[in-house]
Amino acid sequence: MTSPTPDFFSIFETLSRNKVDFIIVGGICGVLHGAPVTTFDLDIVHSRTQDNLARLLPALQELEAYYRGRQNQRLKPDLAHLSSPGHQLLMTRSGPLDLLGTIGSGRGYENLLPHSDEIEIGHLRLRVLSLEKLIEVKEEMGFEKDKAILPILRQTLLEKRKHRKPDS
Amino acid sequence: MRSNKVQSLSFPEHSPAENGPAYSESGVDLTLIRWMLSLTPAERLQTLQQTIRSILRLKGDVTHP
Repeated sequence: MTSPTPDFFSIFETLSRNKVDFIIVGGICGVLHGAPVTTFDLDIVHSRTQDNLARLLPALQELEAYYRGRQNQRLKPDLAHLSSPGHQLLMTRSGPLDLLGTIGSGRGYENLLPHSDEIEIGHLRLRVLSLEKLIEVKEEMGFEKDKAILPILRQTLLEKRKHRKPDS
Repeated sequence: MRSNKVQSLSFPEHSPAENGPAYSESGVDLTLIRWMLSLTPAERLQTLQQTIRSILRLKGDVTHP
C-alpha cells in the first residue's frame, strides 16, 4: 500500500483553519529555523485544554487521521487519547503527524509557549519552538537519533547568531 | 519584499572564500546551513517537501505529477 506523500502545509492549513493551538517541534521545527535536515513526519505539541481538544478533533477528522502501525486497523484518535501527555503517532491524508502531549521532561504546550516564535508561511501564522529550546529538549532526551541531529542544530544556531543584525 | 510563495528553488553557487569555511570542526556542512538561512521559512518547508518527494519518487512510491 502506498502512503500519502507528506504535505505539511496542508496539515498546517487545516489545523489553523480550525483554530488549533499548537507548537511545531522536532525535525520540521529545525528545518523552519534553517537546519538542513530531512524528516518525514510532522511533530507538534498541542494545547490539551478542553476547548482546544474540541477544535483539534474535527481537524483530525478532516485530515482522516488514524493511528500508524496497526496494520489494517483504522483506529481513530479520540478526546481521551488527545488529552494524555503521551504521543499519538498518526497517519493522515497529508502524511504522518505526531501529536505530542509533552516532550522532554514533561514539557507541555503551556510550558513551551514562552519558548516559541511566531513565523509566517504564506497566509498562516504558526508557532515554532525556538531553536535554543529545541536543542535543549533534544539534549534532555538524549536518544541516539537526537544526538545525530544535534551538531547540525547547534551549528545552525551559531550561524544564525553570527548573521543576526544587532537590532533584530 | 520577498514573497513566501516560490515556484521553484535552486541550489546556490558556493563561493568558499566569501563565506568562510565549508565545514565546521565537527564536519557539519556550513554551506548548506548558510543556504537554508538565506531562504524564508516557507521556502525552507518547500525545500524539505521537494526533498521528500524526490526520495519517494526514487523509491517508486510517488508518480510524477
